[in-house]
Amino acid sequence: MSALPDDELPPNMTVASRAAVYLRSGGFVAPLITVLVAFLAGGLVVLATGHNPIETYQAIFKGTGFNWVFPWLSEDDRTIAALALQQTLITTTPLILTGLAVAFAFRCGLFNIGGQGQYIVGSILAVWVGSSFDGMPALLHIVVAILAGILSGAAWAGIAGLLKAVTGTNEVITTIMLNWIAIWVGVWLFGLGGPLQNDDPTRVDVPVSNDVLAGAKLPVFWGDAQLQGLHIGIFIALAALVVFWVLLNRTTLGYEVRAVGFSPDAAEASGINVRRNYILVMAICGAFAGLGGALDVMGWQFRIATNDIPANQLAFFGIAVALLGRNTAIGTLLGALLFAGLINGTSTRNLDPSVFEPQLATNLTYMIQGLVVLLISTDVLVVYLLRLRRRRRTQAVAA
Amino acid sequence: MADSPALELRGITKRFGALVANNSVDFELKRGEIHALLGENGAGKSTLMNVLYGLHQPDEGQILLDGEPVTIDSPRRAIGLGIGMVHQHFMLVPVMTVAENLVLGAEPRSGLLLDYKGAANRVRELSQQFGLAVDPDAKVEDIGVGTQQRVEILRALFRGAKVLVLDEPTAVLTPQEAQDLFVVLRRLTEQGTSVVFISHKLNEVLDIADRVTVLRRGEKIDTVSTEGATERSLAGLMVGREVLLRVEKPEQTLGEPLLTLEGVSAEDDRGLPAVNDVSLEVRAGEIVGLAGVDANGQSELIEAIMGLRAPTAGTITVDGKDVTHCGPRDTLAAGVSHIAEDRHRRGLVLEFDLAENLCLREYKTPAFSTRGFLSPSKMVTRARKLLKEFDVRGGEPETRAGSLSGGNQQKVVIARELTADPKVIIAAQPTRGLDVGAIEFVHRRLVEERDRGKAVLLVSLELEEVRSLSDRVLVIYEGRIVTELPPESSEEDFGVYMTGGGRDERAA
Amino acid sequence: MTPKRVGWAAVALGILAFFVAVPPLTVRSPIVVIVLAALAMAAGSYAVTAGEKRIGWGGIVAGLVGLVGGYAATQSGVANLERVVVWGALGAATLRYATPLIFGAVGGLFSERSGVVNIALEGMMLMGAFFGAWGADMTGSWILGLVIAVVAGSAFAAIHALFAISFRADQIVSGTALNLLAVGITGYLYVQVYGDLGTPDDLPSVPNVSLPIDWLPLFGDVFGDLNLLVWLALAAVLVTWIVVFRTPTGLRLRSAGENPLAAETAGLNVVRTRYYAVMASGGLAALGGAFLSIGFLHTFTQNMTAGRGFIALAALIFGRWKPGLALAATLLFGFGSALASRLPVFSPSGAVLFQALPYVLTLIAVTGLIGRSVPPLALGRPLPRS
Repeated sequence: MSALPDDELPPNMTVASRAAVYLRSGGFVAPLITVLVAFLAGGLVVLATGHNPIETYQAIFKGTGFNWVFPWLSEDDRTIAALALQQTLITTTPLILTGLAVAFAFRCGLFNIGGQGQYIVGSILAVWVGSSFDGMPALLHIVVAILAGILSGAAWAGIAGLLKAVTGTNEVITTIMLNWIAIWVGVWLFGLGGPLQNDDPTRVDVPVSNDVLAGAKLPVFWGDAQLQGLHIGIFIALAALVVFWVLLNRTTLGYEVRAVGFSPDAAEASGINVRRNYILVMAICGAFAGLGGALDVMGWQFRIATNDIPANQLAFFGIAVALLGRNTAIGTLLGALLFAGLINGTSTRNLDPSVFEPQLATNLTYMIQGLVVLLISTDVLVVYLLRLRRRRRTQAVAA
Repeated sequence: MADSPALELRGITKRFGALVANNSVDFELKRGEIHALLGENGAGKSTLMNVLYGLHQPDEGQILLDGEPVTIDSPRRAIGLGIGMVHQHFMLVPVMTVAENLVLGAEPRSGLLLDYKGAANRVRELSQQFGLAVDPDAKVEDIGVGTQQRVEILRALFRGAKVLVLDEPTAVLTPQEAQDLFVVLRRLTEQGTSVVFISHKLNEVLDIADRVTVLRRGEKIDTVSTEGATERSLAGLMVGREVLLRVEKPEQTLGEPLLTLEGVSAEDDRGLPAVNDVSLEVRAGEIVGLAGVDANGQSELIEAIMGLRAPTAGTITVDGKDVTHCGPRDTLAAGVSHIAEDRHRRGLVLEFDLAENLCLREYKTPAFSTRGFLSPSKMVTRARKLLKEFDVRGGEPETRAGSLSGGNQQKVVIARELTADPKVIIAAQPTRGLDVGAIEFVHRRLVEERDRGKAVLLVSLELEEVRSLSDRVLVIYEGRIVTELPPESSEEDFGVYMTGGGRDERAA
Repeated sequence: MTPKRVGWAAVALGILAFFVAVPPLTVRSPIVVIVLAALAMAAGSYAVTAGEKRIGWGGIVAGLVGLVGGYAATQSGVANLERVVVWGALGAATLRYATPLIFGAVGGLFSERSGVVNIALEGMMLMGAFFGAWGADMTGSWILGLVIAVVAGSAFAAIHALFAISFRADQIVSGTALNLLAVGITGYLYVQVYGDLGTPDDLPSVPNVSLPIDWLPLFGDVFGDLNLLVWLALAAVLVTWIVVFRTPTGLRLRSAGENPLAAETAGLNVVRTRYYAVMASGGLAALGGAFLSIGFLHTFTQNMTAGRGFIALAALIFGRWKPGLALAATLLFGFGSALASRLPVFSPSGAVLFQALPYVLTLIAVTGLIGRSVPPLALGRPLPRS
């Protein structure tokens, strides 16, 4: 009957307000504890299957290249660390962007599971533009290819936004469907006999796209371009973080997005066009994810092989990144660094197989990622902390 | 044993965080008695009954059934002990049939399967035995509220209820349906059932109950027999002060009509007609009250005016401008302010801070943004000024709206809506859930706006509020304006029209 | 003739337009196909204008599909057609492809009808696929393999229940988490146990059921030699329908999904009901996964479900949370896959696009163009805490 405060989290709370509650009550501490618990659980699995968890984590950490910042490192170690760190930062780039694609939607009360599809569509368009138009000036070629990735990602996600706005269809279902449609369309395009399969006569049997032309490749600024050095995409991703923050906190659009996210009813009553926001927000999310796809194919992959399309899990890591980062810009950056480190630290390329098998470690990464998302899905820890604090406060008042 | 009461509650205390919903409440129900539980909204009536029904656990106190102390930790246990409850919002499953709803939780079986025929027959038997007509095969979503209530009562009886609790049962009923219900309740008590009747309506309590227990702010005030009690005496107990807050209103100076509705109709969320051919006019310098029982189309009417719901017929004009098919933004821009009926749902963005909430109407204007970029400092400066002017306590511009008390939240809404300098103010339940101080503040501001030549449409379920504030009062019933009365008319006159009675008189 | 009948006739005509062009009829003239399809679309349009929107649009879509499919068939060689369109083999393949989807959809039905969103079907299926294989390998018995798969799937689903129901987590987020977790757990265990060698070749597998009905035309080919789990899946649909719609348990389950407060006030334990429902969901989905590993492919590979859990979810939504309709949807999707596996005869790349069909159809279905799918009212809502 009356609005009794019988719960901190009313059942119909939007995702956005839920996240706000978590952020308010837990701050940086709760995600930190969550990550620790997930790593601890992962360590137990490692231990239970007869390996040494401490050595394993040490080796994984070494594989991330984060030790590059330690001043006491020897020159040789630093060279190795630099190589590893370059890889980690290459992965950080798309993770920031797929993270933002999820975070921005969350802020508007939407759940974008479609990062994968948007990323794929963005990479398809970017690889097509990047491998066509031979002779276009390099800078222009790069800009056009990136724009193609951004716009196609936006359009793909915009479908889900449009359906949500016009027919009220749940975006979770539509974005999942759009993911798989994108996957199969990609497999078809670059598959054997597909319309965009490479036209290199020596690779007729290889289901892979044409290579991105030299002029459309992103310049490498750290490390050796031949050995997959770090390309400038990381700066574009960092810029996207700034754009995200400004858009959300300093523009009227962001104000509307947040209002809709916290309370669609109040937003509508004060004259905000909720439907328009749904479309716009999904499109912007798709733009972020599509940009991620474009940067990957132009920065280091240079081609799309059909096998890689369904195997790419970056967008799902994006969900973990955004949730762990509490849908904030800085949080997304930290989350992206964490998971990029984990992905590379456990990769065949960077993990010392004498300590721990990389194939096992890759799956360890998935487990830790799953655990992080699972623990964050409810924030058991946060709610617990919240209760504790409230109880303490009431006791203080009583005393 | 024989003379022990059917039910006794001793010293029940229930806290929600810092809020004490029930403070050491005693309650006694004799066998075969109809005992009313009377109190204002938020007095703790529903909480007390939810404790009885096992939906809440009391922090202190004891429950005795037939003199035996019992612990009720779930509705299942309550049902097992012979307690039945009819909730204010019916607890039925809309897509299932009456019979399915009725037997849910104690289904007749044939083998492993549900014996649906048996269930339907059982419904027919019960409905005959107690004179409650229902069709067992009808889907609940297709039957009217009165019938749904009968299903709820039948369900309680089917589960063997000896104590029947009805939470504001007449809130959704027409007067005729309410009378039918009373007949049923009397028949039930003759057959030995004891009834707790929760209400905040004085007249019906006097009409149906044998005794009345009055709750105020979670405390039991008194238990009295209805014999010899009057509406005035009960009201005094209920409110704790002489009722009839008199609002000082200067002489009015009437101006042009600012809000005009002609033949407006609208449908509710289920597509059923909710507003029927409403025509009304609010002129500059007057407060027009819209009185009515809950759920008689008030919400839909407001939504139609505000552009939140498309009218199916009619025209709405604000100061000569047709806003019938405008969305919320254009309606607001035409000079309408809206004090929303549910401030948590529509009035405020609870997770926004006060500065952000205060410019929900104007964030796009040059005062707060340039080329799409916000100016937070301007928002804060303005907020600071408004918070002071409207005496919002415990709030800085950076305070989250959700952390304020109800009264201060409402002040924020009013500050935002009134500083927009509207022509028309739609005030829907503007004092719901507020304390006396806040109520007076809201009333004073509304009268001030009237005196400044604004047109105020006041929609409230509190008849007292409508009568004391309005210059004239329209009564809405089943989506129609059934009459216009001067505010000085007696409560009984209003009551007749608000419950559909006047229509029969006119027809006769 | 009522508009509704006209609508159904339109659907039938649309199917006929395709059917006449393929074996055994193999009409070679595109005119026949075009006429039939045009009739279907005309009848469909009539039904739409007469108010029968849902079936009318269905007729128009059927006409369109019949036109495209039938026309394509008339333009391709008879030999090719006869190699692709072997109805008996297609039927059996349809059932085979549909089986994991049926288990998944029926499992999802339990969970979602009780009010808990289950996008973790994919993960539950994957758990079943691994533990079915592992269990069969360890015990040397496919029966115990299935039992272990069901136990693993239910236990895994219990995590979803714990978070979604008891901790009141966002059900989509926790479901997503479980999908990720399943990939990690099964992948890790697979590498740990089987390393680079993969599952052994002598993995016990679920046997086929041979029926002495070879002499029956068509039926003999379709049903004569199906895997036991295919039959179990079909039985699961029937049992699910009975349990959910004809027993007291089902009534309680549905009330928990439609109005949990009502169920609670009727004295039911909604939390317990939902726990059981979600765990049943996990067990059934796991059977679908086990079919993949020890019924169909006879091996386990990492992430082998490859989105089938999501197709199952799609079928559930497409089938409006009803067992019969969901079965129809899984058969439709299964038919698409069966056809796709034979289409490379014509165009190796084009066949791939068929894999996207279930998702496209579901996308259209959820938008409400062909009638709206109305989910259980309280789907995704935790029980208010008291």
